[in-house]
Amino acid sequence: MLLEARNLHVGYGDAPAIWDVSLDVDAGEIVSVIGPNGAGKTTLINAMAGLLRCRQGTLSFDGQDMTRVRAHDYCGHGIALVPEGRRLFVKMSVEENLELGCYLPAARSHRSQSLERVFTLFPILRDKRRQPAGELSGGQQQMVAIGRALMARPRIVLFDEPSLGLAPTIVDDMFDIIARVRAEGAAVLLVEQNVLKALEVADRAYVLEQGRIVSSGLPDALLEQPHIREAYLGV
Amino acid sequence: MPSATLLGQALISGVLAGGMYGLLGLGLSLSWGLLRLVNLSHFALAFLAAYLTYELGTNYHVAPWWSAAMVVPAMFAIGLLQHWLFDKFRVNELASLLITFSFAIILEVAIQLYWTADYRRFETHYSTLSIKAGPFYIPVLELVLCTVAGVLAWGTWLWLRRTYVGKALRAAAEDADIAAAYGVDHKKLAYLLSGLGAAYAGVAGTFIALIATLAPAQIWTWLGVVFAVVIIGRLGNPLGALFAGFLIGASESLAMAVFSPAWAPVVSFSVLIAILLWNPEWA
Repeated sequence: MLLEARNLHVGYGDAPAIWDVSLDVDAGEIVSVIGPNGAGKTTLINAMAGLLRCRQGTLSFDGQDMTRVRAHDYCGHGIALVPEGRRLFVKMSVEENLELGCYLPAARSHRSQSLERVFTLFPILRDKRRQPAGELSGGQQQMVAIGRALMARPRIVLFDEPSLGLAPTIVDDMFDIIARVRAEGAAVLLVEQNVLKALEVADRAYVLEQGRIVSSGLPDALLEQPHIREAYLGV
Repeated sequence: MPSATLLGQALISGVLAGGMYGLLGLGLSLSWGLLRLVNLSHFALAFLAAYLTYELGTNYHVAPWWSAAMVVPAMFAIGLLQHWLFDKFRVNELASLLITFSFAIILEVAIQLYWTADYRRFETHYSTLSIKAGPFYIPVLELVLCTVAGVLAWGTWLWLRRTYVGKALRAAAEDADIAAAYGVDHKKLAYLLSGLGAAYAGVAGTFIALIATLAPAQIWTWLGVVFAVVIIGRLGNPLGALFAGFLIGASESLAMAVFSPAWAPVVSFSVLIAILLWNPEWA
């Protein structure tokens, strides 16, 4: 397994937000975590990105224990985050945002090659490269956030609600991009409220409710479950 | 209304005096803008450097450029030490204001204990040199100060714009967590920046020793005006601090020439208030 979480407990202050979560992502796989608002999806992904400490349980990446690794060393292991709400460096230019993605020396040595790859994927960003990232539209900002992650030459990309706040037509593009990211060799862990889309693109999926994994399996099998159909699809 | 020559001379002197505001503002603006630490002791550090330059020059006959070669690195080290305390006690923006205020007082008292409250003047044979350009006089020391301030501000600006470390510092100032997720070790960079800010105070101190008369209470003289300067120049923007320094220096000097010297202190904050009224998001 590339990413392996076992019995993770993560929380803010005294209150744990996720309990006893076990989850795997293999190389080249797209794994979705679906669940309602407040289920702990962002907590889960931030823990995988090293931004939150795990209180209990183990997190390993490529066989290496990550629980004691410092936040700024996660990226060097090959883990890149596309955070919820994009969180671009809005005062900096599009190109500078992308360059931050290849801040570490290993990625930096491939700067122009990676930049070219991002501009091929998102041609509009080439024209806007000198503009402050904060001036871009929501969809374009999401492209920058994804591009920033790709600049790090990651082995896994963690997507946190990439469709949130985007126009429906752009949402479809985003899921195409996620499939492209995997096609180019990185694994994907995706947390999403857009259940149908998230299951459509995934190889496997987990259902997170109130901080616990309540179900997991192949997307088609999950879609058959009465609970999923009722709670998430309203049928 | 004063004559054109007098106004021109006031403008030149003002811009040159503004170079000192800019130089002092440089370090303050960096730590405030990029680390969210307001360092009131910046001025006390500059005066400590000035007293050291005076001491080395007067008692040991060390030329100021040689003493700067010792004092500036020493200030860098003090900056690191200061940041270690900020780091250890997880100091935030407001707390930094209080803590560095107390640092400043401690330094003021220490200076007073060693050098007493007497006025000290570092006499050099070039302190009164000036170039005559037409009807105007340009003091050489102030011109050198402005050149040094210009080189430092420009260099720092380029460093922040062009290098990965500079970009990482700006990114971390916007969103430290996400910068860390991309490998930025903000803690390490913050030490570097704090050291740099203190080193700039050391450079300013060398010039203070050469230009001003030293007394312990003088550390508070420039506080208000330099605060206005770094906000007008936008926090974290070294070139902005320098140009705001020139602007305020020139405005003060013109106000003194046209109205009366008593009006000078009003100028910096009037400009600041005008800018904030025009654009509340300015800083």
